[in-house]
Amino acid sequence: MLRIPLLLCFVFSVIFAFGQKRYSISGTVKDNTTGETLIGASVRIKEIPQGGTSTNSYGFYSVSAPDGDYTLLYSYLGYETVSRQVSIHKSQVIDIRITPNSSLKEVVISANKPNNDQISSPQMGLEKLNMAQINAVPVVFGEKDVLKTITLMPGVKSGGEGNTGFYVRGGASDQNLILLDEAPVYNASHLFGFFSTFNSDAIKDVSIYKGGMPAEYGGRLSSVLDIKMFDGNTEKFTVQGGLGLIASRLKVEGPIDNGKGSYMVSARRTYIDLFTKASKDSTVKGSSLYFYDVNAKANYHFDSNNAIFFSGYFGKDVIALKNTFGTNWGNTTGTVRFNHVFSPTLFSNTSLIYSNYNYVVQSFQTDNSFKATSKITDLNLKEDFQWSASDDHRVKFGFNVIHHNIEPGNISSDADNVNDINVQKRNGYEDAIYVSDEWKASSKLTILYGLRLSGFSLVGPGTIDTYNTAGEVTDTKTYSSGQTVKSYYYLEPRFSAGYQLNDENSIKVSYNRNTQNIHLLSNSTTSSPTDLYVMSSNNIKPEIADQVSTGYFKNFSDNKFEFSAEVYYKWLQNQIDYKDGAQLIANQDVESQLVYGSGRAYGLELFLKKKYGKFNGWVGYTLSKTEDKFAAINNGNYFPARQDRTHDVSVVGIYQYNKRWSFSSAFIYGTGNAVTYPTGKYSTGGLTTFSYSGRNGFREPATNRLDVGATLEGKEHKKYHSSWTFSIYNIYGSREPYSITFRDSKTVANTTEAVETSIFATPIPSVTWNFKF
Amino acid sequence: MKTIQSYISLSIILLFATACTKVVDIKVGNDTGRLDIEANVTNTSLPQVIRLSKNVPFTDTNTYPAVTGATVSVTDQSGQVYPFVEGPTGTYTSNSLTGVAGNTYKMTVLTNGNTYNASSVMPAQVMLDTLTSQNTPTPGSDNKKEISVHYHDPIGVDNHYRFVLWVNGVQERVVFAADDQFNDGKDVSVILRQDDVDIHAGDKAVVEMQCLDQPIYLYWFTLSQQSADGPGGSVTPSDPPTNISPVSLGYFSAHTTQTKSIIVK
Repeated sequence: MLRIPLLLCFVFSVIFAFGQKRYSISGTVKDNTTGETLIGASVRIKEIPQGGTSTNSYGFYSVSAPDGDYTLLYSYLGYETVSRQVSIHKSQVIDIRITPNSSLKEVVISANKPNNDQISSPQMGLEKLNMAQINAVPVVFGEKDVLKTITLMPGVKSGGEGNTGFYVRGGASDQNLILLDEAPVYNASHLFGFFSTFNSDAIKDVSIYKGGMPAEYGGRLSSVLDIKMFDGNTEKFTVQGGLGLIASRLKVEGPIDNGKGSYMVSARRTYIDLFTKASKDSTVKGSSLYFYDVNAKANYHFDSNNAIFFSGYFGKDVIALKNTFGTNWGNTTGTVRFNHVFSPTLFSNTSLIYSNYNYVVQSFQTDNSFKATSKITDLNLKEDFQWSASDDHRVKFGFNVIHHNIEPGNISSDADNVNDINVQKRNGYEDAIYVSDEWKASSKLTILYGLRLSGFSLVGPGTIDTYNTAGEVTDTKTYSSGQTVKSYYYLEPRFSAGYQLNDENSIKVSYNRNTQNIHLLSNSTTSSPTDLYVMSSNNIKPEIADQVSTGYFKNFSDNKFEFSAEVYYKWLQNQIDYKDGAQLIANQDVESQLVYGSGRAYGLELFLKKKYGKFNGWVGYTLSKTEDKFAAINNGNYFPARQDRTHDVSVVGIYQYNKRWSFSSAFIYGTGNAVTYPTGKYSTGGLTTFSYSGRNGFREPATNRLDVGATLEGKEHKKYHSSWTFSIYNIYGSREPYSITFRDSKTVANTTEAVETSIFATPIPSVTWNFKF
Repeated sequence: MKTIQSYISLSIILLFATACTKVVDIKVGNDTGRLDIEANVTNTSLPQVIRLSKNVPFTDTNTYPAVTGATVSVTDQSGQVYPFVEGPTGTYTSNSLTGVAGNTYKMTVLTNGNTYNASSVMPAQVMLDTLTSQNTPTPGSDNKKEISVHYHDPIGVDNHYRFVLWVNGVQERVVFAADDQFNDGKDVSVILRQDDVDIHAGDKAVVEMQCLDQPIYLYWFTLSQQSADGPGGSVTPSDPPTNISPVSLGYFSAHTTQTKSIIVK
């Protein structure tokens, strides 16, 4: 943080002498009907084609022009383009409201050429998801889901049915930074990955960075999934919700103080347990199986330069079996943000962020009762500045301090069968300062370059062991509160450049380095809520990833279609795996159970998207390879990571048939997971036991599935609106293998067999009724 | 903590009540003819048995070719060598060796020009107090029973256990391994949770309790983690870490043994 003055010097040094006197036009772009600010809306000056920009996360924009008369064009996908004549003789604030197109009108190509951001921006590896499309994609049980839709993008792979994680460009699932209104969400899944923690009613905007990570993001290697919640309707009080097969949703929103502010509260809960409560079986009756989550947000604009935002998320999963055990886990996040516009060209945001993930496992058995808990808590101060230094330079800089506290495991027992255990808490600080500049070097060439200095310190109190590679303690030291155990500093260069060949074609290159200091340890092949988070330490070095990528981007038919082809190569250092028989739960010596290695991932991603129109959707294809290398595994040779997927295809189509009916479908095909199958068998301890050679040398069968959906909009009513969503998941009943296990045959004596388990091997229909008034 | 993992597995099973399984043809690899040494020295006066065999392809029957003509011996910590005499089908036995708790034993196997060594410590015996049976708690498993073992773990020492369960004379195909990380010095109950064979009232259950040293516990614990309790609960499988050098399949275990039986109520 002491380096901030230095940073500012650097920032100012990138400023070039201004020629002509220029004036700023700044303001916010909002939805005309709800007052929601629009993120990423395009703002252009017709007379200065290079001088365009887009609104930031708070809907704020700033452009500049010399003295004169201009036409400002405001556009956003799914909205009418607005043009505004202005005479500019001084800096001024122009707040604009734009109106959504009715869906059928979208067919008409607006007179003004729509946004060609993909071509003009140097950013690559970025997928912006359109909420309208997310809401249209059919999903299991009809619970529309941001995370499920994201896995339909090239380069993003789902962990499979019933798996928590998603994998970006070969990275592990803990290498994704998942932000909900800037607060990191540690476990983004409900019920072991069937649903994500993101209730799409509450979500305004979703972007995922697969590469070319801008300097303002850091802390994870593979991706940034940036999710923004709705601010709430500033115009009127509205209620909307839905009744689905397994869950219900309700959202209320409305203005505060005549639209100076607004609030939004959105909640959802499953109700399978209402049926179990009615069961005659007393065990079933006394058992629980549900999740719920609540998103809440409020904002208040003191004046056009100052605004405050509060957002919070609380979610929990509960599973319990009567007289046997209970487990629950959940995330809590809270963010307070303060926007301040210092000048029309300098925008700032200060965030204070709280994030917590915890789990509890309880045994209710009389002779073996105990309670095990674990949690991770972050407190985070973040300061971001956006400075439109000139039309050619848009500068971002800021800093970030995070305090992490991990309670790896506490076990307590009322009965006298288990010893109480409190594994030492760990504290750490993760700091970063960054600066980046988007420089329009010429009318063709734009360069986005930046630098992020990230630091991590593990601090006391605590007694810290140092382990050798055999996992034996070589040194033990006790540290007092706040005393530094180990610090790491890394400079992370971020660079992207886009060269626009013409209005419809561009090529881009990027390089970025990312480091990661929070690591998820999981000793099962699929993640579980009891997976353990650890920090970098004297034993665990920060993970490092370097990624280079290049791509060709093309828009055609008046930007109606977007095509991109990107190739990437990623080097991974200090990757973590565990030893055989590793015991991770409530283990004081957990760091003795780890081994370290490296990895590499490379691939090609092709993406063709039709952004709007009566028929829209996309086709994605990924060809990739992801390999790990650990000295102790596979004789020290590279082996395919479990999530290595050679081929991956996704096709999404959405068709607006008429005003009332729309149809959608999603198809996926992918190479199966890399897995370890037996290469022989022998007998040990009286049991048939399998022998193995090498890690992940086999493939599960390829997966493929088609889901279809339809939405019926209710007849127009003055007071309310309703709609029905129908979907069939896995319409042709494809068996996606969840696991393949090997055992003694149940039918033929003295032989062995392979058994495939699948979760949804039959079509799963669902229906949801949605309302709004 | 094994219990926690089994609870998470149970949760997944509850959730995936709709899951279906089927036997499939899977192309697996073929890396066979590897030596498997299964060597036990116990504190009973029965003949001590070391069995040598080779692994076979997955698709073959479960018959493992015997390794004959090997020279096998165990040496105790006083240097006394006990040669093992070759019997039928790759078994080598000694009638003169009875293991003593607290002693270290070394095994030497010479076969096909290679010498394999291992050493194992027989820990102090912890007695198995009782066996009990109770209803299985999972919904829908009416009348199914599960067996619990009860013992008192000695305080202040690391203890490692393995249990072997037979129901009506047939060994259950589950590896049960336990340690005292969470219950050192306590009265311990361990549920032998399994879904291999349904147990009902009237069945005869027999449990052998073994007290093991740490490397052998790691061997069994690793195997138990791989034999998935259900979907999602297993680790990436590999050959469990052996105490035999150079590495072969199998293990050399000096352990105490005690057996109890009950009629399930």
